[in-house]
Amino acid sequence: MKRQAAALLALALCCSATVACKLPAQRGWQAAAQGPVRLAWRAPRIVAGEMFALQIALCPAQARLVAVDATMPDHGHGMNYAVRLQAPAAGRWRADGLLWHMAGRWELRFDVDVDGERHTLRHSVQLP
Amino acid sequence: MTGGPRWRVALAALALGCAGFALAQNPLDFSAEERRQIAAHGPWPPPVRKDLSNRVQHKPAAVRFGRRLFFDAGLVASGGVSCASCHVPARAFQDGVPVAQGRSAAVRRNTPSLLDTVQQRWWGWDGAHDSLWSASLAPLLDANEMGGRSDTVAARVRTHLVRPYRAAFGRHPAGDSDEIVVVSLAKALAAFQSTLVSARTPFDDFRDALLRGDRLAAARYPLDAQRGLRLFIGSARCSVCHAGPTFSNREFADIGMPFFVPGGGVDPGRHGGLTALLASRNNRLGPHNDAGSADPQALATRQVVQQHRNFGEFKVPGLRQLAQTAPYMHNGSLATIEDVVRHYSELNEDRLHADGERILRRLDLTAEEAADLAAFLRSLSGQ
Repeated sequence: MKRQAAALLALALCCSATVACKLPAQRGWQAAAQGPVRLAWRAPRIVAGEMFALQIALCPAQARLVAVDATMPDHGHGMNYAVRLQAPAAGRWRADGLLWHMAGRWELRFDVDVDGERHTLRHSVQLP
Repeated sequence: MTGGPRWRVALAALALGCAGFALAQNPLDFSAEERRQIAAHGPWPPPVRKDLSNRVQHKPAAVRFGRRLFFDAGLVASGGVSCASCHVPARAFQDGVPVAQGRSAAVRRNTPSLLDTVQQRWWGWDGAHDSLWSASLAPLLDANEMGGRSDTVAARVRTHLVRPYRAAFGRHPAGDSDEIVVVSLAKALAAFQSTLVSARTPFDDFRDALLRGDRLAAARYPLDAQRGLRLFIGSARCSVCHAGPTFSNREFADIGMPFFVPGGGVDPGRHGGLTALLASRNNRLGPHNDAGSADPQALATRQVVQQHRNFGEFKVPGLRQLAQTAPYMHNGSLATIEDVVRHYSELNEDRLHADGERILRRLDLTAEEAADLAAFLRSLSGQ
């Protein structure tokens, strides 16, 4: 009986955590997922050669954003700047210092740790 | 016969009108995507970029003081040299020679135009400066350029320039250290340079006419320039780096120009520029930033990364007033616009870094295409 109760409790906790962790779904938010990680990000209008910041939301609740980077796979180079991360609220992150200096296809990369495991999410963005 | 001359005048006007109409050609049929790209190169002029690190940037007294300093050949003890010696107003604020003729032969880079300089993020071919005032201070005190010394420059201000200094900064220079005085002068120089905006060009008139659907006005833009524009934003992919209203992404690139310096040595370009920038007391992270740690523009200085590929990279220059700013490239080695087009057309891809931009490739332009591209580049100059 005790074992069953513990299992039920664990299940309940797990479900409540899943239900509690919601990602923004409004217009302008882009979604990505990989394994247990779900992520949404948005940016103001990105202009070639101008700095911009990303807002990022992460699930599950214990997920931790470790790094954000971007590369141009077709050109073989990345950005000239390192991204600075801040966590203004639980599950919410802000990435500053992004600058895409060329029009074309950029690949955003998010490194996320969950329960000691690294997950990498990628999102392709065409900069006009 | 009464009214005969009037008829003749009317007929002549009609004939001229028809001839004019025949000369005007329809603009090329640019696609929606091409129009979007063309629109991105304007409007002109854009708003002046505000520099929060310089609190006197828009103060009229500072602009006036900066203008006076810019032409002051007595500012440095050696005398006879002013900012305007190399940044000649009649030459689009550059000097027309391959490399600057400073006090020493050690100067090895082309003098950039100061028109629209306020639009940049990094200053100098290597981006060693993150503000216009810091970039203005460097040549003043560089032994190879103007060769000034802080103490003698400050002494001249305290004896000859007290009134304009007080008007610009609200205090007497006697109360400021030598360092504060010369930094303040640099900020006044930057205030003046912030007003140097290039004139509108035939391209701007074409762009605006195209966007408002005025085909007649758009048709005044020569067809060869239109074909060159199509190449520029299309198959030649020039606009990938030469982006936006200034035709620059405000960053750096290795385009296969030699970085060996005549007489020996190499010019490390952006790699060396970053070393100098991060070591400088006059960068945005230093004590002379008027906005202090609240300066959002300091983020670029804080986050910029020095990479191996920066070696041999130089600033992507803006292309406005190009016809007035020959010779071209960081070392002034290309004399004409046609030489620049030929450089890209016959690009030596083996010269590029292994980790350089894969976007660069030989354009292999036909003679007509090269002429069209040159015609477009010329149309980026106004009166």
